[in-house]
Amino acid sequence: MRIVIAEDSAVIRAGLVEILADRGHETVAAVGDAQALRAAVDEHEPDVAVVDVRMPPEYTDEGIRAAIAIRREHPGTGVLVFSQYIETRHAAELLSATSSRGAAGVGYLLKDRVGDVGEFVDALSRVAAGGTALDPEVVTQVLSATRRTDDLDTLTPREHDVLSLMAEGRTNGAIASTLVISERAVEKNVANIFSKLALAPSDTDHRRVLAVLRYLES
Amino acid sequence: MDRVTPSPGRGIFLAFGARHIKGVAVSRWIVTVCFVIAAVVLLAFGHWWGALYFLPAGLNGSLAYLVPRWNLLRDAPKNVERVRELQRSRALVVDDAAARLRRIEQDLHDGAQAQMVAVVMKLGLARDHLSTSAARLQGADLDRALELVDAAHRGAMVAITELRDLARGIHPPALDEGLGAALEGLAARSDLPVEMVVDLPERPSPAIETIAYFCAAELLTNAAKHSGAQRARLEVLHQPGLVTMRVSDDGTGGARLEPGGGLAGLAERVNTVDGRLRVNSPAGGPTVVTVELPSHV
Repeated sequence: MRIVIAEDSAVIRAGLVEILADRGHETVAAVGDAQALRAAVDEHEPDVAVVDVRMPPEYTDEGIRAAIAIRREHPGTGVLVFSQYIETRHAAELLSATSSRGAAGVGYLLKDRVGDVGEFVDALSRVAAGGTALDPEVVTQVLSATRRTDDLDTLTPREHDVLSLMAEGRTNGAIASTLVISERAVEKNVANIFSKLALAPSDTDHRRVLAVLRYLES
Repeated sequence: MDRVTPSPGRGIFLAFGARHIKGVAVSRWIVTVCFVIAAVVLLAFGHWWGALYFLPAGLNGSLAYLVPRWNLLRDAPKNVERVRELQRSRALVVDDAAARLRRIEQDLHDGAQAQMVAVVMKLGLARDHLSTSAARLQGADLDRALELVDAAHRGAMVAITELRDLARGIHPPALDEGLGAALEGLAARSDLPVEMVVDLPERPSPAIETIAYFCAAELLTNAAKHSGAQRARLEVLHQPGLVTMRVSDDGTGGARLEPGGGLAGLAERVNTVDGRLRVNSPAGGPTVVTVELPSHV
């Protein structure tokens, strides 16, 4: 993978470069603020950008704004936002930002997840390949926030589990092994989720994203 | 205000009506008034010498009544100015405290939290390398090293979570994007489904936003923990000069403002900016807590 990193903390930036190099990935640019990030993505067109949320000058949500802009302007670049805090609103904004030419992969993880190097690099690869990687924390918050919506209330607990793993960006095979059920059973659950959430049959991947969005936007 | 000297009129009234007032205080004012009346009456009838008998005590008592009141009146403009000064300095202190807390959170974020993330990354990497070498080499020392690194890694992960909770308790970062955004996150993290009605056309000052946020956090936690409620509602309205926040739940009620309790603590915090906190929570519910805050300190 060719990667651009935007993180204002020098120690974390260096750590990320080290981890990714260790796993054989190339960091084409490592920058410290949102403006430099936009310039680096314009220049290098990387497979994926790792973006911190709080960066200079205001240290509020500069990273999210930049990530949304990249998603709109660079359908070939996946964006993995990583942050000390999870804000459901940021997740929803990030996921709903797409360009007219389709959208690349997207992820939103707590910074601590880099502690599990293997999982972090897997998540990054998923995003680079056009997939999704949402932090379990996002999913938990979204689940508790969506208990009030009627559509999602009709899901069985098992379907909830499947949907939350879908939101984390897992494939059917990965969901099956996590929940210790057959892949066939996962497929059935996914089909039920689609029909309960009234998602018209089309491209399955697209419907997966829509189901997750329904989750986040409610 | 227990020790205010009773006025002569009130003293007479109390002498007839209320026995629990200290006899000394009551009789002193009665005697003063009687002496003054007696002196005036005797003067009016031309009994100079008789008046002289009552005059000193009457004058003395009257002065004791009038002098402090005159002093108060004389100092009133100075006191008004002093109150204004205190309000100004309190506003500075409250604002400064809010800014200082934000800075502490920022320092934690840039310092300890970032360092811990870097530590966790290195430990994670070390653990992965050790476990691949351990599989290849089968050494007991290597296994022990792997165990140690693994334990350190787990400890560091816990420390990061604790640091994050600590930092959020000092100053929730989402507040930088506004009270509405921060409350949204709060509602999302709540154990109860929270219906939100937020109308904040303008941002109140940072100290007010912080107080409102922590009130909402505590009140929603109370609703989830103690009330047995199924759902809660959080309303925030900002009219010119006044932020009104109402947190209600459909629980069993019975919440009270007790000294030393959580609600009293909130009320105290609200009082520091001349705000008000009211609790309406009849037994059987529902509970409605209303917090009113000035827009600016």
